[in-house]
Amino acid sequence: MTETLMTVIVVTFGGMMITAAIAVLFVRDLLSAIIITGFVSLSASVMFLLMDAPDVAITEASIGAVLATMIFLWGRGKIGGDG
Amino acid sequence: MSTAFYWSIAGTAAGLVLVGLWGILTRKHILRIALAFTLADTGVNLLLVWSGYLPGRTAPIVDGTISASGITSAVVDPLPQAMVLTSIVIGVAVAALFVVVGVLASRRTGSADVRRMKELRW
Amino acid sequence: MIRTLTGLIIVLVLGAVAAAVIPEMQMREELQGVGYSYVSRGMDDTGSSNLVTAVIVAYRGLDTLGEVVVLFCASTAVVLILTLYPIGIKASEPSRVVAFTAKVLPAPILLFGVYFIAHSHISPGGGFPGGTVIASVFLLVMLGSSSVPDGRGRLPAIESLAGLSFGLLGFWGIMTVGQFLNNAFLGTGTPGTIVSGGLIPLISIAIGAKVASEFSGVFKAFRNTGGTV
Repeated sequence: MTETLMTVIVVTFGGMMITAAIAVLFVRDLLSAIIITGFVSLSASVMFLLMDAPDVAITEASIGAVLATMIFLWGRGKIGGDG
Repeated sequence: MSTAFYWSIAGTAAGLVLVGLWGILTRKHILRIALAFTLADTGVNLLLVWSGYLPGRTAPIVDGTISASGITSAVVDPLPQAMVLTSIVIGVAVAALFVVVGVLASRRTGSADVRRMKELRW
Repeated sequence: MIRTLTGLIIVLVLGAVAAAVIPEMQMREELQGVGYSYVSRGMDDTGSSNLVTAVIVAYRGLDTLGEVVVLFCASTAVVLILTLYPIGIKASEPSRVVAFTAKVLPAPILLFGVYFIAHSHISPGGGFPGGTVIASVFLLVMLGSSSVPDGRGRLPAIESLAGLSFGLLGFWGIMTVGQFLNNAFLGTGTPGTIVSGGLIPLISIAIGAKVASEFSGVFKAFRNTGGTV
């Protein structure tokens, strides 16, 4: 993979991650906020992969995008309400 | 070109930490605070792995393409990656504890608003 | 409003500090210090092709043992809180899509997780990601069934056994060569083959079983106390 392509990918994902992180704080629906957090974790896993850390990328993808999201969804089911 | 790649990762990581911190300080819903905590966690992990990244090298896994003699100039630093690997698992366990305690506190006060959880203050 | 502004000011100050500090972390050209010696000696010391696993399990094995204890405390606290203060909402029926997926996908995902654990010393993977993948299989099966697990089961036994075997593998080193968690006394084998790396595959299995049973226990407690997960 060329360096230009890697830079483009990182800049794109970085911009999306920051935007999504701000959206987590301001989006009205809690369900959307949880899903967006999962997206940030998945993008972080792409960044780990580009930084030559495949072990960390696998762990982040399986934990950040699956287990953490499920835990938050459980909490949303128990608390309910938006805010 | 490699410097743009390098510094944009650091910027993203620092930005995630700051946004997460801002969320922890300003949000009111307890689950939203937990989400912001997770964001800051992700940012810290990114920053740690970034600190061990060396441009133009490959992952610290030895295969046929790396000779045993030239390995120290061929792979990135494995130490921050090992630290972050354990940190991610700890992070999600702590987030689970956070959510459970938050759920119970909101049951007890009847609201998920942290301003009403006076029992948690001291 | 005042809250938002105060938070914004604090974060902006911290951002200024970060913007001043992070550029000081100059881009390195060479490995230094501990990382250099881990990379240069890792293959000969441990026989593991994956240097990250070598650091986690062999060089920093004691740290990993402590970290597993932290994980144990967190998951025990979750299960304990949910057992003492049941929340009590009834579990709902799974939809047909989820029920079908939970019949088809568990076997391949389980195989994937076991592969991660078994090949942790020669390819990316390890006890932590493998254990979480196996726990996600457990979660999927649980989501696909309408019944709620009762309080019994062998998860605590598996968890205790895995933790105990991690400690005993460490003490094995004391018995043979007088060093806790010594990796190489069994011989390290040829790097790149499945039987290599000394104790690393065994400890990876212990870590994987422990992580999988802990997260499965957390999700079981979630399900027991009611709700869709």
